[in-house]
Amino acid sequence: MIYFDNAATTKPNERALKSAEKYLTEEFYNPSGLYKSGYNLSLLLKEARKNIVSLVADENKFSCIFTSCGTEADNQAILCGGKRGNIVTTLGEHSAVYEAVNEAKQRGIEVRFANLNSDGSVDSEHLLSLVDEKTSLVSVIHVNNETGAINDIADIAQKVKVKNKFTLFHSDGVQAFGKINFRLNGDIDLYSVSAHKIGGIKGVGALIKRKDLIIKPLIFGGGQEDNLRSGTENVFGIKCFEFAAKERLSGLNQAYDRILALKILFCRLLDSTMFDIISSENGSPYIISVIAKGVRGETILHEADDKGLIIGTGSACSSNSSKRYSRVMLACGLDKESADGVLRISFSTESTEEEVCTAAKILNETVANRRRLMA
Amino acid sequence: MEKVIIIRYSELHLKGKNRGWFERVFAVNMEKSLKGIRHEIHRLSGRYLVENFSEADTEVILERLKKVFGIHSYSVALKVKADMQKIFEAAKQVCFKEGSFKVETHRADKSFKLNSMQISAEIGGRLLDEIQSVKVDVHNPDFIINIDIRENGTALVFNEFFKGAGGMPVGTSGKGMLLLSGGIDSPVAGHMIAKRGMNIDCIHFHSYPYTNLQAREKVIELAKQLSTYTCGTTLNIVSVTEIQEQIHKNCNGDYMVTVLRRFMMRIAEQIAIKSGAQCLITGESLAQVASQTVEGMTSSNSVVKTLPVLRPLCGFDKDEIIERSRDIGTYQTSIEPYEDCCTVFLPKHPVTRPKLADVEAEEDKLDVRALVDRALSTLEIINL
Repeated sequence: MIYFDNAATTKPNERALKSAEKYLTEEFYNPSGLYKSGYNLSLLLKEARKNIVSLVADENKFSCIFTSCGTEADNQAILCGGKRGNIVTTLGEHSAVYEAVNEAKQRGIEVRFANLNSDGSVDSEHLLSLVDEKTSLVSVIHVNNETGAINDIADIAQKVKVKNKFTLFHSDGVQAFGKINFRLNGDIDLYSVSAHKIGGIKGVGALIKRKDLIIKPLIFGGGQEDNLRSGTENVFGIKCFEFAAKERLSGLNQAYDRILALKILFCRLLDSTMFDIISSENGSPYIISVIAKGVRGETILHEADDKGLIIGTGSACSSNSSKRYSRVMLACGLDKESADGVLRISFSTESTEEEVCTAAKILNETVANRRRLMA
Repeated sequence: MEKVIIIRYSELHLKGKNRGWFERVFAVNMEKSLKGIRHEIHRLSGRYLVENFSEADTEVILERLKKVFGIHSYSVALKVKADMQKIFEAAKQVCFKEGSFKVETHRADKSFKLNSMQISAEIGGRLLDEIQSVKVDVHNPDFIINIDIRENGTALVFNEFFKGAGGMPVGTSGKGMLLLSGGIDSPVAGHMIAKRGMNIDCIHFHSYPYTNLQAREKVIELAKQLSTYTCGTTLNIVSVTEIQEQIHKNCNGDYMVTVLRRFMMRIAEQIAIKSGAQCLITGESLAQVASQTVEGMTSSNSVVKTLPVLRPLCGFDKDEIIERSRDIGTYQTSIEPYEDCCTVFLPKHPVTRPKLADVEAEEDKLDVRALVDRALSTLEIINL
């Protein structure tokens, strides 16, 4: 089975699992415990926090709050960061941000959406034109989870701060962290990451934040994570995350070049009479969105699945039309028919050239077959 | 003092010589519905008694019995020795602490020393003495304390009648094959026919890979929900993907639904006959959608050679069907947004009044027999 839906989740890094195994069995204590075994775990968490942050930022200026997932990190950033005036975001956000800003809207905050370019990146000029003296938060996805488009968040954040220095800047970095070379600068206040997209396990995320930034908790209780996120920490998951992230970051550039070569090869092997490629050449090499012309994406997904290839799709056979088409694809300017045919192929560091060749062959055959049947 | 459940049945007393058979089927159905719970069911004249169950299971038992067709009403009662002191103690327990009441006694054991009126009067009087906050009102009481003196030296005391599911025991009216789509209507149609005593098997048509596994799971869930009323069911799942593709390729697209329905009816009839079902059941409601016109029904009916097609929802409005769907508990599953039949193939302007000759002309463009055979070869059977 070829697994090319790595933007949804990745296979856990076995070395990470092994290295953290003892936190499930022997070192099972509560890190809030006052006894030595608990205290020692709290020190390990402190170290993990520092190590993870240091991979993308200066650990003297940034810290992180461990959460249960990237979605929770996004929710905390939006609902606790955007407290008044208006929030400016993009039409290309993951649902974790999109639904959170909708909730903020319900709570009386104005929400403004910036348009997308055809590759899914934000029209940054439009975004900046929406920012004013009342903007409390701007949230821009770093790497679009459907198209792989990369937003230059450092540049956008800097320009936002020029317009309004009090505006907080958040970015959903779930598809960027551990995949593209990047360091947070001082204009970015909040940055969400997730463990299971880079070989960690599901159930762990983090909200990286500027150390001097005060943000309210989303979850209240025992006061863990410096009172910013209550709930007993998932020590095993966090240690896995730390290990996997370190490994990813240490070989990041090498992996990037290798995956980029796979992306180029894959796009070349796809039959251009049957596929349009949405993702731009400058996007993340890990995510490629294509339109299977004239057929429905989910149909291809099922047939490819039966042939041993797992991929993702931008649409679903839903009778609920608001859920059927990806709002991001429509915002990229696709018509409904094209949006219906969107497929997402996403690689991991484990993806191989051989797999890419087989996958392209399966997709070419499958679409040709469906088009013949439906002609 | 033991907690028991009295079950009264509905139309069985109307049946003549085969009443015994009806009662046996009814008892078996009750047993099936209470499977996995410790209990005993005993027959009394004109009613059944569920006994020897753990008090903690009472709610579950009532919940399950609610779905057994043939039950007219039921009551939770206290069973005591037919002795006035014991009866009084039971009456005291079931007596509410406020409001007006009366006592009604039914005496099957005519040898009991007091007659019905005397029993009611004495128990009522003692309750009044004991519980100061209640009063007697024989004309318009807030609640009635019922005392049933049985022939076997026991008495049943209870204060409420609950309405049962009504209808006839499932299995006393043969077996039907329900075309189960995944929408709101078909489970309701199945439920209505099952209520009249019919065993229900289901058949579902899918178009994988144009539809997904969630849609299939949804139909399995609906069949499971329906099976709680029918003491189990068999779900037949057949792929019509190739048929849809062939209609799409060869026929006038506006006839897609009309022609597809004829294929579904043919396949359903064959599977029905093989499994011993004696009719087809559909959730069609007259004029609800383009294909559910009388002309549409004529077209789909004409391929069913031997079995009658029951369409119990024909005279219902959508609102009424939705209400029933909520009542029987299938609504929430039915509205899950998974397509049961892929809309890729659906025409923008389906024919609403198809002429049989035109439909047949379209169908002549296909190798109907071979397509039906190949669809039948995809049959998958799930026993629920």
